[in-house]
Amino acid sequence: MNQVGAVGLIAALVFAIYGMISGAIAGKFRSPRMLKSAQRAVLGFFAMTTLAVVSLEYLALTNDFHNSYVASHSSLALPLVYKIPVLWAGQQGSLLFWTWLLSIYVALAVLLNRKKNRQLMPYIIAICMGVGTFFSLITFWVANPFDQLSLATATGITPYAPPDGNGMAPSLQYHSMVIHPPMLYLGYVGMAIPFAFAMSALLTKQLGDNWIRVTRRWVMVPWMFLGTGIVLGGHWAYHVLGWGGYWAWDPVENASLLPWLAGTAFLHSVMIQEKRGMLKVWNVVLIILTFFLSIFGTFLTRSGIISSVHAFAQSNIGPWFSVFLAIIAAFSLTALFLRLDFLKTENRLDSVASRESGFLFNNWILLAAVLAVLWGTIFPIVSKAIQGVTVTVGPPFFNKVMVPIGLLLLFLTGAGPLLAWRKTSFQSIKRNFTVPLIFAAIVGGILFFAGVHRLYTWMSLFLCAFVAASIVGEFYKGARTRMKSTRENFFASVYNLTMRNTRRYGGYIVHFGIVLIFVGFAGQAFRFETQGLMGPGDLLRAKDYLLRCESIDTGQKANYQYETVALSVTKDGHALTVMHPQKRFFLAEQESLSHVALHSTLAQDLYVVMAGQDPGSDKAIIHVIINPLVQWVWIGGIIVLLGTLLALVPSSIERQMADLHKGREELAEAHHVS
Amino acid sequence: MELGVAILLVIGLAVFTVTPLLAPDGPSEDALPIDVTPLADLKRRRMVVYENIKDLEFEYKAGKVSNEDYNTLRENHLAEAAQLMLASQEQEEITEHDLMIERQVAERRAQKKARHPDPYVCPECEFENPLPVKFCGNCGKELPKRTRGK
Ligand SMILES: [Zn+2]
Repeated sequence: MNQVGAVGLIAALVFAIYGMISGAIAGKFRSPRMLKSAQRAVLGFFAMTTLAVVSLEYLALTNDFHNSYVASHSSLALPLVYKIPVLWAGQQGSLLFWTWLLSIYVALAVLLNRKKNRQLMPYIIAICMGVGTFFSLITFWVANPFDQLSLATATGITPYAPPDGNGMAPSLQYHSMVIHPPMLYLGYVGMAIPFAFAMSALLTKQLGDNWIRVTRRWVMVPWMFLGTGIVLGGHWAYHVLGWGGYWAWDPVENASLLPWLAGTAFLHSVMIQEKRGMLKVWNVVLIILTFFLSIFGTFLTRSGIISSVHAFAQSNIGPWFSVFLAIIAAFSLTALFLRLDFLKTENRLDSVASRESGFLFNNWILLAAVLAVLWGTIFPIVSKAIQGVTVTVGPPFFNKVMVPIGLLLLFLTGAGPLLAWRKTSFQSIKRNFTVPLIFAAIVGGILFFAGVHRLYTWMSLFLCAFVAASIVGEFYKGARTRMKSTRENFFASVYNLTMRNTRRYGGYIVHFGIVLIFVGFAGQAFRFETQGLMGPGDLLRAKDYLLRCESIDTGQKANYQYETVALSVTKDGHALTVMHPQKRFFLAEQESLSHVALHSTLAQDLYVVMAGQDPGSDKAIIHVIINPLVQWVWIGGIIVLLGTLLALVPSSIERQMADLHKGREELAEAHHVS
Repeated sequence: MELGVAILLVIGLAVFTVTPLLAPDGPSEDALPIDVTPLADLKRRRMVVYENIKDLEFEYKAGKVSNEDYNTLRENHLAEAAQLMLASQEQEEITEHDLMIERQVAERRAQKKARHPDPYVCPECEFENPLPVKFCGNCGKELPKRTRGK
């Protein structure tokens, strides 16, 4: 199967190169025959990367340690569920995985556009296959997952398989880790499609708002995956890393945040182009930036340049990625520059007090966030390169910059929808802002007297109340207006209102999820932490909770040994639960990891870590953290996901637009026949 | 064994990919159609403006927009719609003109062809001479001088 995988890789590379060239030729000469061939090359590329992925999975599932990648990322004792993610546990496999996901996206784009966008398709294929060529070249040439292990002996070089593999990093052996990387990758990879659409529109000079209308969904889907991946990553960090938090401004975490922020900016500013024909150049720039940051994120995550901050040696794909990023930037900016004349704006900004300017501010702030995160992430690399000194940029920098940025964004989330398009007079502003502001002021007052005195925390919760009230107001006012003319009941009215314009109301639901996430963030200000040494019978108090150590035990599972402590928890004198935090020692990997115990409620999480056993007393070292409101981060994440799914449902307006398009196509066909 | 199957699969896919290039010319072998004509683009933009007006009316009824704002915004939107309507009429006229010009060109060509018949065809017996000759190969009549050659 190793050879089969290698054949798949070579063939995928050939199909990618062929698809890139034939796509470009089809675009240049507008040849349907060539286009058909290019489309089939895409399917061939998909089939061959699938073959390679299936081969690698087969090798992983059958514990074939002749394969060097499987030997270094799996082991005999690794539970079956973690053998499938071996595919993306290491650099070589995850680059193959990336290539495979790209092939799925491109094949889908080809299949969904069999009859549509005939002029755009050739270059879309050419560009996607260009990206595919790069990734299959890397997987084949530099980071091949099908390398065989061999030994040099007296009789020559013979194949070799170690009796057992090195195993997977224990921290990765966790359930949300199985879906977290695929989600992130689906997000990163998917941004190639809208980028290709934008570039193709530039190359063919088809710069009406067709491309942007078609592209929106192709941005929304990867954006949704990226967001889900980020939240799952936070969930994983919270449960596995044992420090009780979900975001540490780690470079790899930042890498996923960057394209998400840029994509968010695009999803907002695209509306100004659709509604008002403005910001055309800006939207192309945002798409380029989003794609660039996706590749940059993959690069940061997979090249080892980040770990190279500590040890500068092992990055062998770094230079390749640097060249590729330079090519993307040069190509896309040249294409943009040559077509500036076609991207003239149709309207001007009528007034500063308008929805348009709200979106514009939102864009600037999101871009400022991108720059801040980017700077903090690459500063260690830059300072190492320039001064030879590695200066690490820690969470304090990010918190200092990102908290005010986050609060500004939160404010705009609430204020934007209250402004009218084009121009809003003071009278309208007064009308729309009064109720949400009064509600927020009441909530703010209650919080202040309840003891919330930290400025940022108070402001965050105040703004959350403001945004939530404005969203509820939008639904309420809309439904009430609809009821007047349709005589539906309130709930039917809300439902129909939402389905008529899924994008707007789906967007509001996304905003509501973001509000909940901010509530969760604000809770971190009230985090409480304590620790103690506990033997049987010992007590530890953490605020309202009283923990009593019942026993300390040890045990053995297939791939790890563990020490655990049983803690009975009472709150205000009532028995609550028994918690079992563990300290695990993974045998194949020779690494230990804390398995935290959690007692979650909507108000707060009781988070208990067993850090190990105290050598002097044989007692367990127990950390107890009380994390208020953390559950709201996960709930908010789920609501963002649901809101995005809703926004993806075609609304009645979009169907009308599609009909217009179809009508034209039929007309054209009839014309053609006659 | 698996390797053989894989290689066969690759060959099959390669053949599948290049066959469209070998297809004979058919009536469908025509340049790729334009995705969106300028006229359709204008029509869609007009639809967007109508949608904007509907939205505005809805927000007005919901009490979100003051009377003053409603009136000015509505007028702005209508002006934009009128402009787009004008533009699409112009565009339509352009298309009509295009069609008219095309028709005229076709007519002129037909007339020209009638006035300047094929130099090889004998005006008497309609025999198609294989070469530009002075006398018809069929009936021997002298062919008109100006139709000979180019
Ligand atoms: Zn004759």
